Amino acid sequence: MRSITAVLLLFAATINSYGFCGFYVAKADASLFNDASQVIITRNGENSTITMSSDYKGDLKEFALVIPVPVVLQESDIRIANPLIFQKLDAYSAPRMAEYYDQNPCYIYQYDMAPVLEESTDMVEKTEDAEPTRSKTLGVKIEAEYTVGEYDILILSAKQSDGLKIWLNENGYKIPETANEVLDPYIKGGMKFFVAKVNLKKQKNTGFQTLRPIQVSFNSNRFMLPLRLGMANSQGTQDMIVYAFSEKGRVEATNYRTTKLPTDMNVPLFVRDDFNEFYKSVFERSWKLEGKNVVMLEYAWDLSPMNYVQCDPCAGDPPVVADLVEAGVNWLEYNPKYNINDGQVFFTRLHVRYDREHFPQDLFFQETPNREYFQGRYVIHHPVEGQLDCDGAQEYYKTVFNRRQKELMNLAQVTGWNINSYAGYLDEYADKAGVKKVKQNSLLPADFNRDNEDVYALLTILLMGGVCFSVIRLMKTIK
Amino acid sequence: MSTISIPRSSSLKSIITDARHFQIFFLGTFLTYGILALNWDAQLSRFIAIFSACLFTQFVGIIYTSQDFSGLKSAFITSLSLSLMLQTHSVAAAALAGVLAIGSKYLIRFEGKHVFNPANVGIVLSILLTGETWISSGQWGSGFIWVMLVGITGLTVLQRVGRVDTGLTFLMIFGGLQFLKMVVYQGWTADVWLHNMSSGTLLLFSFFMITDPVSTPNSRKARVIWSALIALLAFAISQVLYIYAAPIWALFFISPLTAWFDRKFIAKPFKWIKS
Repeated sequence: MRSITAVLLLFAATINSYGFCGFYVAKADASLFNDASQVIITRNGENSTITMSSDYKGDLKEFALVIPVPVVLQESDIRIANPLIFQKLDAYSAPRMAEYYDQNPCYIYQYDMAPVLEESTDMVEKTEDAEPTRSKTLGVKIEAEYTVGEYDILILSAKQSDGLKIWLNENGYKIPETANEVLDPYIKGGMKFFVAKVNLKKQKNTGFQTLRPIQVSFNSNRFMLPLRLGMANSQGTQDMIVYAFSEKGRVEATNYRTTKLPTDMNVPLFVRDDFNEFYKSVFERSWKLEGKNVVMLEYAWDLSPMNYVQCDPCAGDPPVVADLVEAGVNWLEYNPKYNINDGQVFFTRLHVRYDREHFPQDLFFQETPNREYFQGRYVIHHPVEGQLDCDGAQEYYKTVFNRRQKELMNLAQVTGWNINSYAGYLDEYADKAGVKKVKQNSLLPADFNRDNEDVYALLTILLMGGVCFSVIRLMKTIK
Repeated sequence: MSTISIPRSSSLKSIITDARHFQIFFLGTFLTYGILALNWDAQLSRFIAIFSACLFTQFVGIIYTSQDFSGLKSAFITSLSLSLMLQTHSVAAAALAGVLAIGSKYLIRFEGKHVFNPANVGIVLSILLTGETWISSGQWGSGFIWVMLVGITGLTVLQRVGRVDTGLTFLMIFGGLQFLKMVVYQGWTADVWLHNMSSGTLLLFSFFMITDPVSTPNSRKARVIWSALIALLAFAISQVLYIYAAPIWALFFISPLTAWFDRKFIAKPFKWIKS
């Protein structure tokens, strides 16, 4: 086979609009969007540190946030994180496109270097309002009150949901009706409520245009993210990207399936023009095929300071020790003797698309000893341009033709796109390769999109056969 | 090598009378389904390590105790259970789990019965000793399909070995406690509870692990109390430590009580093939 070499050109997939994993409340009746959120969660023994991204673009006066937390947080447990940490982690771990240039079959030693490009994520979020707090005797107790960075924070405990709801509404946190079905379970489950509003004066002093992420740290057996409250003000599905750091290995869900994104495949060249659209389709299709109730693994890598290959290929700069610490990794120990940081860090990126129907339970995690790497990686190949005239040329064109055929099949398989309209992508090389042009609409059989249904059907028949057989035997035994 | 006697008169009958054949068939189907439809990590080396370790250890055990070779079927079931429940990327840890599982059958015995469920011991000890294995309790997901499939196939096997009591007692008490806590006390809607209870791992445990006819108490009354204890302990562990695989740990800790139950409640011990 002709060698395919050269250099990688990388793009990071961008995922639109991020917000908090918690629960937005609004004062005005404006429609709320809580489509996606980014969360960093680090786990060390029983200690969890959760950082919630904030790219709230609305009126700061109207910002209000409610998150259930398992314990009463101390002031020292709450800090403001650098917003850049999310961009960095996203760019580093996002599904990537690797770009290769074919070697000219007529000039063997030619190399082309391409610059490394990087696109980072855009974040948009929307929320509403808050007002000064007012103590009430509705069974709601203000356990603690802090001002951290630009946020005025209260830690509440409550005896019953009605009281909490009235209190929150009276204090400017507009609670959607549907929140009721989860407030009680959280209260009875011993959860406290972390509520925050923006302190406008402090916010001005920060010099930042936007709100910075809140980071909370606490000890609890519960290694989880409370999704359910966040569902209260969203009709459809929401996306959440979880960046998890642990010492041992990958983090996975314990009460939902954690499954891998389809990855490592050649895709057509034109995917390069719209990689974001491509990735969105890949995710969406995979999520649907898996039953809409899965946690998707998008990236896993060893980020220990002593590991020298922290990505391959790299979509963005790997996080350095300072970034890890910013993200909440608190178990690295500086060793002055060798001027290094001792300790293991494993990084997992999970993508959850959830809604009330498919995710009735909050998301619980566990740390596993699984240190296997994973990345979403899609490869495109640039054929050699210009006229080739040497003995190897036709054979090379045939290779390109066959490769493109496979690329289109892969594309159809992972995105569900109708590839029949891309016949031109093949025909470009049909003549040169000396093969027949592809007929329009003949690239794929009509039932291609049925995927593995046949296999499942077969299996089910097998299982059912077994069941029937057993039931018959059972009946006979009973007789 | 000793010869294995196969009754030639009706081979179908011999297949049906031994419930282990059903178990092998069902567990094998679950494993195939997991790999093909649920995209499990089908690491061939892990499966090979587990199967060869289990079968080899059983083989040595059979030779040593001069038992019947049909015991290899039990080792096959243990291999399948380990393949279904135990995750690892270390071939050595997988093999160790297999050796410990079957080894425990021969080494940890009391009054002619092995104390632990082999797969359970393999899972728990390999997690504790190697730190390189884990249980992916979410690997099946949750859903009605599991209730149907695992439930029906499980009951079929349990009916044949007379252990329906054990599985159902466990499920009813564990599920009942969860219901009281989640729905009655905390006020979650019933679908939250159902999601919890329809986990493939929990059902597999209830119908295919806790109900192992050899390591459960001989008397029915004892079995009901025994599995109720497992349910209570599993519930307690899951509430305090928030571990989803709590039943597997509970079974491990309650198993040694089997011997006491067998003394207190006298009954005939179980035999795979009734003579």
